[in-house]
Amino acid sequence: MARLALLLGAVAAIVYPIPLQLQGYTYYQTVGFLVLVNAMLGLGWNVIGGWAGQFDFGPQVFFAVGAYTAAMLYVRLGVEAWIGLPVAAVVAAVLCALLTYPLTRLRGHYFAIATVAIWMIAQPIGATWELIGGSQGLFIPVKPRPDALAGALSLQFSGPTKALGYYYAALALFALTLGLMALVERSKLGFYFRAIRDDQEAAEGIGIDSRLYKVVARSITAAVFAAAGVLYAFWALSVFPEQVLELNWSTLPIMATVVGGIGRLWGPVLGALILIPISQIMSTTLGTGPLAGRGIDLIVYGLIIVLIAAFRPTGLLSLPWGRWLRVRERARGARQRASER
Amino acid sequence: MTELAQAIVNGLQMGFLYALVAVGLTIIWGLMEMINFAHGEFLMLGMFGAWGLSASLGLDPLLAILPLGLVMYGFGVLVYRALMRRVQGGDPFTQIFATIGLLFLLQNAVVAGFTSDYRFVGDSILVRLSGAKLTVLGITFGVPLLAAAGLALLLFLALYLFIERTEFGLALQATSEDREAAMLVGIRPTHMFAVAWGLGAALVAIAGAILVNFFAVYPQVGLQFTVLAYAIVALGGFGSILGTLLAALVVGVIQSVTVVYLPPAFKDAFVFASYLLIGLFRPQGLFGRF
Repeated sequence: MARLALLLGAVAAIVYPIPLQLQGYTYYQTVGFLVLVNAMLGLGWNVIGGWAGQFDFGPQVFFAVGAYTAAMLYVRLGVEAWIGLPVAAVVAAVLCALLTYPLTRLRGHYFAIATVAIWMIAQPIGATWELIGGSQGLFIPVKPRPDALAGALSLQFSGPTKALGYYYAALALFALTLGLMALVERSKLGFYFRAIRDDQEAAEGIGIDSRLYKVVARSITAAVFAAAGVLYAFWALSVFPEQVLELNWSTLPIMATVVGGIGRLWGPVLGALILIPISQIMSTTLGTGPLAGRGIDLIVYGLIIVLIAAFRPTGLLSLPWGRWLRVRERARGARQRASER
Repeated sequence: MTELAQAIVNGLQMGFLYALVAVGLTIIWGLMEMINFAHGEFLMLGMFGAWGLSASLGLDPLLAILPLGLVMYGFGVLVYRALMRRVQGGDPFTQIFATIGLLFLLQNAVVAGFTSDYRFVGDSILVRLSGAKLTVLGITFGVPLLAAAGLALLLFLALYLFIERTEFGLALQATSEDREAAMLVGIRPTHMFAVAWGLGAALVAIAGAILVNFFAVYPQVGLQFTVLAYAIVALGGFGSILGTLLAALVVGVIQSVTVVYLPPAFKDAFVFASYLLIGLFRPQGLFGRF
């Protein structure tokens, strides 16, 4: 049953943009791109936030580190994105480990604010460091490619298939992240993370080095954020501090994770599928009317989060879907039997 | 030398304003150990309220303190009773989510109602005094900021006496230290928490009414103050009223001295660097007691 759902979901994700593309629409491919990027970020945040149980408010720092690393490699050295992306992920993970190790002495709210502190320190550095372009940032030029494959490997798509190309690039990265996270969830590492979340003293009592594994968890989060940052930078064709260090790069994925179900593999995916289209649909339906650009979508987000926190803090996936669906199946079965008689 | 001394004096004056913003958080977060990421939005509501009363009725923001404080006290109690009470017992994460949701809700409700434009209070006692200066030993003191600092000191003194010297304040402290023991001696914890939220919201709204004399009002104004307030409460030692005041002054001075030597973009970075250093080496804060 679960496998069938997974297969259907995968087919839908692969096939849905094709008829739109044939009719010449590109809008929904971009919506899909944003859903996938945020779902991927949510998957990354789920490691430190959901499994290791440490509230991280500053992963956007590593989104920026990834975007800047790959952009610098490409602009200054001509290194293509398919090399730049893994390099960026590794750089972000290492930097994150160095920055996070001292922070692991702090717990709970204090850790959360320390991650904000690092973000607050990163902002002026990004805005004033001339090597990475200061507040102007870096522009990523589109170079002509001999064929589509070379374009895809360098994460550069242009012309009428631009939105479609980035959609599939995001889908590939998302699928890779999802697969890796599924492995982490079932591995010893995943159990260590959750043990630290549930009872840090008990976890230490059975020999788990809580500080080490918190660092490992946050570095995984950082690597995912960096990879998404690279993708975003090549999509936006630029990197500048206010864009990649924006708070939304953490709040949207966190909200998606919470709505779907924190600490559940599919939680951030479901959350992103619900939240991101709300914002996109609202901005099209409100159009240029009196309420356009008035943050109506964010009011709805706020309301959803407040309601989830108040009534179902474990998220939508934690609702007893299995029982509800089975009840309906049983009712349908009973109705069929009754009609047969 | 005079430049540095002037920077320190300016920093101290800003510090008093920050102290006003942070003190509501000291009660909710420091004393009662509940998180409120919508603290800056309470401040923003206070600022908008003061601006609105000034623009529509011509009421001076300093006189708006009383009605705003009362209304926001009710609002704080409402937020606790309707939302925070539900999430209090569970995972501490839930408090973070609930108040982040509240942040989005309040901020964007104001965007929807008033747009993100910057607004200024045109006419008030403090704005009219804005040209007045006192010069002592070559160091200039702006009169409006001095007046605001004086008000901040008064509020702090009143709050300090309320928390430390009245039976009600002691009941608040008792609830924060041990809920069950407080219940045994006849204190209702939920009542105490509601009062703490009411007080926190009222204090930060009062801060907002004073701040509108110096800063533009817009829906996103809260965040910059929220993050500073968190650093201040942590630096000051959680729940210590005097510690909050001293830490706010330290933060104001760090900011203004940083700006003398580095680009202005770094003024918050050094505040947060000190938060990290102190968090790592002196987790009880600069003036904490434990």
